[in-house]
Amino acid sequence: MKNIIHTALLVLFLLSSGWISGKPAEKLPPFRQPLLISSAGQSAEVQSALILAKRAGLKASLIKSAVKKDLNGFETLALVAGASMKGLGAAGLDITDEKERVRRLVDAAGKKEVPILFLHLGGEARRGTLTDDFIKEFVSCAAFVLVVKSGNKDGIFTEICRKKNIPLVEVERTVDAVAPLKQCFSGN
Amino acid sequence: MVTAAHPLAAEAGRDMLRDGGNAVDAAVTAAFVLNVVEPFASGIGGGGFMVIYLAEKRMVTVINFRERAPAGAIPDMFLEEGTVRRDWKQTSGLAVAVPGALAGWDYALKKYGTKNLSNVTKKAVSISEEGFPVSATFSLINKDECEKLLANAGENTCYLYQGFPFEKQDVLKNPDLARTIRLIALKGTDVFYKGEIAEKIVAAVKTKDGLLTKEDLASYQPVEEKPLRGHFMDYDIYTPPLPASGGLHIIQLLGILEKRFESGWHPASPEYIHIFAEALRLLFADRNRWLGDPEHEDIPMQTLMSPDYLQRIAERIHPERVLGSYPSTLIEDGRHKKTSTTHLCVVDTWGNIVSLTQSINHFFGSGIVPEGTGFLLNNHMDDFSPFPASPNAPRPGRRPLSSMAPLILFKKGEPFLALGSPGGTRIFSSLTQIIMNITFFGKTLDEAIEAPRFFSYSSGGSAFPLFLESRFPAEVFKFLEKKGHEVKIRGAYDNYFGGAQGIMLLRKGKGLHGGADSRRDGSGAGY
Repeated sequence: MKNIIHTALLVLFLLSSGWISGKPAEKLPPFRQPLLISSAGQSAEVQSALILAKRAGLKASLIKSAVKKDLNGFETLALVAGASMKGLGAAGLDITDEKERVRRLVDAAGKKEVPILFLHLGGEARRGTLTDDFIKEFVSCAAFVLVVKSGNKDGIFTEICRKKNIPLVEVERTVDAVAPLKQCFSGN
Repeated sequence: MVTAAHPLAAEAGRDMLRDGGNAVDAAVTAAFVLNVVEPFASGIGGGGFMVIYLAEKRMVTVINFRERAPAGAIPDMFLEEGTVRRDWKQTSGLAVAVPGALAGWDYALKKYGTKNLSNVTKKAVSISEEGFPVSATFSLINKDECEKLLANAGENTCYLYQGFPFEKQDVLKNPDLARTIRLIALKGTDVFYKGEIAEKIVAAVKTKDGLLTKEDLASYQPVEEKPLRGHFMDYDIYTPPLPASGGLHIIQLLGILEKRFESGWHPASPEYIHIFAEALRLLFADRNRWLGDPEHEDIPMQTLMSPDYLQRIAERIHPERVLGSYPSTLIEDGRHKKTSTTHLCVVDTWGNIVSLTQSINHFFGSGIVPEGTGFLLNNHMDDFSPFPASPNAPRPGRRPLSSMAPLILFKKGEPFLALGSPGGTRIFSSLTQIIMNITFFGKTLDEAIEAPRFFSYSSGGSAFPLFLESRFPAEVFKFLEKKGHEVKIRGAYDNYFGGAQGIMLLRKGKGLHGGADSRRDGSGAGY
């Protein structure tokens, strides 16, 4: 029940008074469907993002290691941050390869004017030097940032979003992200 | 005293000792609780090895409850047009071998314990029903493995929180597992191997295109056997024989290192790490060439443990550079996965000792949960070689090669140390480092377990990287790179290198020292 109340409050907050940090909610994020979900660091949280999108009723596809051409036909890119040695190993990538891939994907999204929704769903457990590199480099490219609260204990997202004037929403747990995610796509 | 990979398991074992149970009773109690609180690492859907020291008889015995391949297994079952299908080996029904854990625990309990299944399962049932707070370790592993769980156990599995990974401090309840364990306590192991649980296992495996049948389950029997014994300095090691290969490799490594040891070395000496890493690579070459299930393969154990053989390997190691070539007749791709596994140790008031290592292989095993049972099935078929020419290729009823190495170390004929660890092929490297830290470098058990670790291996005749925890000084990395090692730095306390548990018996009855690894949620409990 506590979580439901929390989520409801977040949505109300989102609609009425603006985002947790960053720019005020003058208008809803520019996100349209379909949504391409891809990883930044190959953690398994991309699967959670896909379930969230499904539960939010969004038309979404998952390509873990998406490249420029995979953006064709998509209106939004959801970048799910989290470095996982296991995931990188399974994908046959090292961290340098992965950063370069994400860099190119983000660059292509910018050129195609595909807005980026940045997600960090792994919480505190999915922080650390490797993941933080992705956060520091790519959060600033996002139009909207949605994170599980424990992953922002040190305020890393708050700080970047404030500086770059990017809306940020925190949720207590992954399952609570359904409502804000749905809201992000409701204006278009 | 009990040391285990989770405090609730250690406490449950200790309580059993306090209630008059012996070391075997406490070990099985802790094993059932581990199935509940560390379900990603071991449980009734898996298998393992138990080493028991019976103080009164001054005898060591081994109970082997390693899983077996189903009768339908064939050597090339994981090849499709010559290509290895890792998904078949690891996450399909074909990955599931016949579980042995429950049969092994029951065998140990009936022959060497004093309690019955009903006594040793009470705590596991109550924790399953009431729930327990998930640790940070559990949460991260759950996040890493959620894709497999979603695919094989579904969004509604108890191993996910409303379809998403558990966060630290979330409470996990598993009423299905409570019912399963209670049913086993009431009806005995037949309900698992021949009755309604067997039917659910077969149905779940079949749904995922597996081979396991009711006959496979009904025919499963654990094996009691003589331990493998090795000797170095003033110490004797007792550990399971093949198909548990870890003990053999520890004996080999200690033999090689004893021959190459130089005074002035310490656990972080780059010269020591270099010699150790090269010894590992040379041993891996012979592991791939020779080792398999001794019930079916002729394995030259005497040669592989002989002083001459170990001397030849010691002489092959060049002090100044990596060899670069490690002869092997088999080609494998050398990928090393994160294997789950768990270890626990018990010493009781009578001096009996249990050293138990068990596993469901990868974290969360195959990800398959038989409907309504709440336990995970192993993916230990992945421990077979996918290549038909290998002595470790899958065949009906065979047991896959394991790296597990629960051991009891004796010093001048007296029990000195019970020790073991999870960690896949890192098991024998990590345990050897711990033993070296104690016996050669004079560390306490806790210091020995917590010290930074390293690992390397060879495959297809080539050296693979030297993995080291980041706590080694930077100059160590530079030194090793100069010698030709490809250095890969991992986390400071990385569970890639296992999560060891141990109990040291001090001389002249002066007490016990427990050691539990902070790389996982290890804990000790005594009274």
